[in-house]
Amino acid sequence: MVVKPTLSWTLLHSFAILFVLINLATGLRIATLSRPWLLELSALLPQGALHWLHIAGAFGLSATAMAYVIYRFNQRSQRTTATLSDKYHRIITWLAYPLVILSLLTGWLQFFDSALSVVDIHFYAALGFLLYLVVHAGGYFIQYGWPAIKRAFVPSVADSKPSWNIVVPAVAGLLLWYYMGYQPSNDLLVERIPLTTLVTIDGITNEPEWNNAQEITVLTRGGANFTNGETLVTIKVLENGAEAFFNITWQDTSKSLEHLPLVKTNQGWQIKQDGFNQFDETAYYEDKLAIMLADQCAPGGGGTAHLGPKPLADQPANFHGKGYHYSDDGKVRDIWHWKAVRTNSMYLADDNFFGPPVKPRAGERRYSAGYIADGKESGAYVMNWQWYKPEVIVPKRLPKHNELIAPYQVDHQPNNQLDHKNNNLQTSDNLQWVISWFDYRPYLAENDHYPIGTVMPSVMYRSNRFEGDRAHVRAHGQWKDGMWTLELARPLNTQSQHDVILQTGTCLWVSAFDHSQVAHTRHQQAIRLLFEGNHD
Amino acid sequence: MIKRAIGIVGLLITISLIALFNPIPQEQPSPSRWLKIDAQGQVMSPWSGPWACVYDTKTQLLWETKTDNESIHDGYWTYSWNDGTRGVENKGDCYFEKERCDTLDLINRVNSEKTCGLDNWQLPSSKELLSLVSRDTKPGEPLIAIDFFPQTKRGDYWTKDSQQRLTGTFKYLKEGTLAVDFVNGNLTKLPYRNASFVRLVNTGYVEP
Repeated sequence: MVVKPTLSWTLLHSFAILFVLINLATGLRIATLSRPWLLELSALLPQGALHWLHIAGAFGLSATAMAYVIYRFNQRSQRTTATLSDKYHRIITWLAYPLVILSLLTGWLQFFDSALSVVDIHFYAALGFLLYLVVHAGGYFIQYGWPAIKRAFVPSVADSKPSWNIVVPAVAGLLLWYYMGYQPSNDLLVERIPLTTLVTIDGITNEPEWNNAQEITVLTRGGANFTNGETLVTIKVLENGAEAFFNITWQDTSKSLEHLPLVKTNQGWQIKQDGFNQFDETAYYEDKLAIMLADQCAPGGGGTAHLGPKPLADQPANFHGKGYHYSDDGKVRDIWHWKAVRTNSMYLADDNFFGPPVKPRAGERRYSAGYIADGKESGAYVMNWQWYKPEVIVPKRLPKHNELIAPYQVDHQPNNQLDHKNNNLQTSDNLQWVISWFDYRPYLAENDHYPIGTVMPSVMYRSNRFEGDRAHVRAHGQWKDGMWTLELARPLNTQSQHDVILQTGTCLWVSAFDHSQVAHTRHQQAIRLLFEGNHD
Repeated sequence: MIKRAIGIVGLLITISLIALFNPIPQEQPSPSRWLKIDAQGQVMSPWSGPWACVYDTKTQLLWETKTDNESIHDGYWTYSWNDGTRGVENKGDCYFEKERCDTLDLINRVNSEKTCGLDNWQLPSSKELLSLVSRDTKPGEPLIAIDFFPQTKRGDYWTKDSQQRLTGTFKYLKEGTLAVDFVNGNLTKLPYRNASFVRLVNTGYVEP
């Protein structure tokens, strides 16, 4: 054998095994969000709120790596033999060094929301670790059998220069620091503007006040359809003592408004979809942006992201296997969900929240755990099918005049096919994919004379826009030259138990959706609002 | 050494098989107090639709399902209370009558249609209608199992319990009928002329 284990080495080796296994298990589960093919391994991976554990594991592995460097300086060489097998094990062991360095470096770069695209490197380093475990641990086991396992955990010689006294405190100290509530965030100054200054919520940020507002840009990762799954999001916030105004821009090469359209086929009307039956549509969906606000800055979506198909043992599984959001601490996280079709024409964002998981409903196929809409007094958008089915549906309503849907046929001619997979949406910028309830009439088979291939939007506005608690967030977005610009406004304090007060210390996160239902981008560090004149 | 190598390969194969034969669980409907019933009276799966009626296995009552298809079952329609001998005719709003609507209009239409295969539909008693009140709802929803009773409005629904002495603002109208308010789940006395919502009930359904 190359080295006889000392107490320090045994400790370091055991810590390394522990933290690598924690990070591999939690990391692969986290990776299922943006690499759904990994769900094939779902049965082997842990479920639940794992982001904190992954980060804690990273703290532990970092401390172990640092302690190992000190250990290497302290230890005296024990190398006595150099057989062929020793050389093999030494080379394999050395492979761990670049893997550890690469994993930690790319992991911390992501943790601090670096603008560098390192997700893939981090992922392949993790796969490298999986291979390393087989060839390293497996190699020793094949050659030496169970004594090799014993050797990994039981010291056999004394330290030439004890290092364990720095190993344990280093690891324990970093873990304790994390446990004590390390919640890193980036501050964003919120400037005060006069109450008389008009900020029009129209997605056109031509108010001069925006020019002076501090901005923060964050690289969000892991979303479907975005280039490399990433998009840069820039945020500015102003407030006037009564309301806060948000100016958010993000890159999106395609303006996606074709939200689950209906198409007439030989079998009947069908919904154009790719994943909607599992509540994970990634082709025929509108663009969206979600903003989450909380009175704390914990990682992992404010501590609400619970991963895996069934993170709550006594509640229904989710169909896409990725997980769902809910809070563990009884508090709510405010969610503003702007939708390019369903709410944009209302000049609203959908005011929702993440709360404790609700009871499942026997008649509802989708269980959304703690993701709940604020209450509303009135107003609605309605989907134009009597009952969702993955195959053939019956529309609720048909247009009173053919001209109402004529513009939607242009983009669907055979020579002008949409190619969502390649982001080649060729729809007209001015085409609204919202239809009016009262321009349509109830479906009757005798009125269904539309030719095969006819396309019809599926989002109907039944009445007025939302009113009540759900309508607290005014919002409107505009897409131009590969960029969405969204303006939002909300009272600082709505008095609603489902909303978070906007004040110094309020943390926010943003997630962009590129024609995807749930596969959104995300970032780690919260953005902490710092109100001008109200500094803590 | 060969045995141990085979052991490692076996371990990897075992892990792969565990992953392969444990796919993501596909959730199935859970048992419920409520059964969806189609227009012909047949029981449907809890996750299928649309459905015409809901059978309450607890009270053995069959309830009309409301829609938004502008049929006689549309949940937006309102009705004044009228049983043919008492009440006020045609003070509600619907599309299916030339005149405006009252509760007798709906009862006649539903019985004529034989909704869910039955023709003895009627207004529920206060006790029957209160049995639908559920406090297990999400913000802003009417107090009812909305997954089985869609298109229920946050408003008053008529019962058959008439000849109620009115008080307060409506005292001069002398009498009216009890209604269940699905905003707070309480009974309220309303004058016959009031335009309120209706959900009919049937006691003649026999669960297959």
